Amino acid sequence: MAAESARKFEALEAQAATLLDVFKRGGYEQVAPSIIQPADIFLDQIGEAIRGRTYVFTDLSGEELCLRPDLTVPVSRLYLERHPRADVEARYCYNGPAFRFQRKGASQTHPREFRQAGIECFGVADRDSADIEVVLLAADAVRAAGLGEFRFRFGDIELFFALLDALSLPERWRLKLRHYFWRPPAFHALLSRLAKGESVESDGPAAELAATLPVQDRALAAEAVATYLEANDLILAGNRTLGEITDRLLDHAADLRAEPLPREVATVIDYFLAVEASPREAIDRIATIGKGASIDLGPTLYVLSRRFDLLEESGVNVDAATFATEFGRDLEYYSGLVFQIEAAGDETSPIAGGGRYDGLLRSVGARAEVPAVGSAIHTERLLASVKGFA
Amino acid sequence: MAAKLVIAVPSKGRLKEASNALFERIGLALRKTGHERRYSGMMPGLDGVEVAFLSAAEIVHQLKGGRVHIGLTGEDLVRETLPDVDGTVEFLAPLGFGRADVVVAVPDCWIDVSRMVDLEDVAAQFARVHGRRLRVATKYLNLTRRFFANAGVAGYRIVENVGATEGTPAAGTAELIVDITTTGATLAANHLKVLEDGLILHSQAHLFAARGAEWTKGAMQLRDAIVERLISNSH
Repeated sequence: MAAESARKFEALEAQAATLLDVFKRGGYEQVAPSIIQPADIFLDQIGEAIRGRTYVFTDLSGEELCLRPDLTVPVSRLYLERHPRADVEARYCYNGPAFRFQRKGASQTHPREFRQAGIECFGVADRDSADIEVVLLAADAVRAAGLGEFRFRFGDIELFFALLDALSLPERWRLKLRHYFWRPPAFHALLSRLAKGESVESDGPAAELAATLPVQDRALAAEAVATYLEANDLILAGNRTLGEITDRLLDHAADLRAEPLPREVATVIDYFLAVEASPREAIDRIATIGKGASIDLGPTLYVLSRRFDLLEESGVNVDAATFATEFGRDLEYYSGLVFQIEAAGDETSPIAGGGRYDGLLRSVGARAEVPAVGSAIHTERLLASVKGFA
Repeated sequence: MAAKLVIAVPSKGRLKEASNALFERIGLALRKTGHERRYSGMMPGLDGVEVAFLSAAEIVHQLKGGRVHIGLTGEDLVRETLPDVDGTVEFLAPLGFGRADVVVAVPDCWIDVSRMVDLEDVAAQFARVHGRRLRVATKYLNLTRRFFANAGVAGYRIVENVGATEGTPAAGTAELIVDITTTGATLAANHLKVLEDGLILHSQAHLFAARGAEWTKGAMQLRDAIVERLISNSH
């Protein structure tokens, strides 16, 4: 990779100053979290897509560390250090390097070392207004840096979970579909499996055992499983418990007795996940899909549509934006609104991205969920779009 | 006379004895040159060949860098280490020894788990119950990532392990493993079973050529001579 030119360095520094200035005027305090982070937290919380691309190393004391692949987790940890009870509102902004291995070699649009500038907003109970605040501030920032034309792409993870809740499904299938949402190919395989009434492990000794288990009595079932293990010289070892093994066999037993997923339900899910249109049209289509399936998505859709009204009132050209129900499926810590800012027609290298991640703080040490929403700007891409630096 | 072709052969480990015996059998016995402790040698049966005695893992790196022309090592190490296998090396000849399977193995008390699709379900359950991902102990980071991704399994993390991988599930430092096995005896002794569709790679020792090495006419002739003897002696 060619060395950064002095001109590009100066331009990036000037751009960062502009972005930070917008953030600070918006009420965000500048912070600089550590570049070197404990590996565990990242490796456990971040999706495989980024995990496989994180620079991990062991230091001389044997501690496993990593170069931060993004700044959201480090800033979340910083918030928790300052406010261990996570009970106050805080707004932070930052500009600094992040590191990702690029399988196909580092390039200008996909460098291994890049600078992120962004904002994170913690503890604000009024989620809708915090969401809007972050989207608008990210837009203000890229505009202040000189990006004249850009488009928004939106999604909302909450919407899919609301759909699952509204559909009539056994709880064990709902849990599975929720989990597989983040792994699209496996999700579609699971959906068609459920719709065909196929069970993966319908043969073998485990299936025979499952068929004999008392479905209503978990304790009795666990005893039966323990007896089976003993009779077959299988020693219960490792971290998975007898209860966990029993529960999966009971789920399996229930699947054996259950009717397959009604084809209409599978179709509703497929149609829903195919929606990609301007936000208002998308909301209409989702409402129609819901009506066809006799389910009520009204309250969720109302929240969604109010969000776009507010954005429009604040000057966002909502009709030029895209809303996709599938968008956001690749970063597992998102829990609600997700968005990205794209320069003219290039959705594969977005200028900025962000969203709501209410569950993340708990997984890095908070006692409960903490409302959190943020956005990060890929500053090299922004500069390339504005100034044509390549 | 300067060597025209450099061949790397294992200097230790499970491939060493078998490869020495192989070259002896085809009339190309390896001889160390100079002091016994040195790591270079020659083939008295073939002029112009320099032998580099290296570890099987190091041979892969030397092939990648084009610093040796050909090298004998395990397919598992080649597939694990090289991001672009076919662009980096050529498979000259399978050698029929050093056979080992790279497999996914879980505790045999997991009677609810028999295939890869079960793993993702277990990962989801494990995350709900224990608040973290399943841990896979292995030294095959890349093979594991690729295989799990193709199988749609993502709710795991790798703990890098170069020692006694098969002991980690019982010790509680990992939930499952990816490791090599030849007879399955070690796995069974550790109360582990291989998943039905958990075979990642059926590996054996191969002779590889480095695409990035400097291939003079002389080097090519020597390569062909060695490969010819290997093939005609393999029947």
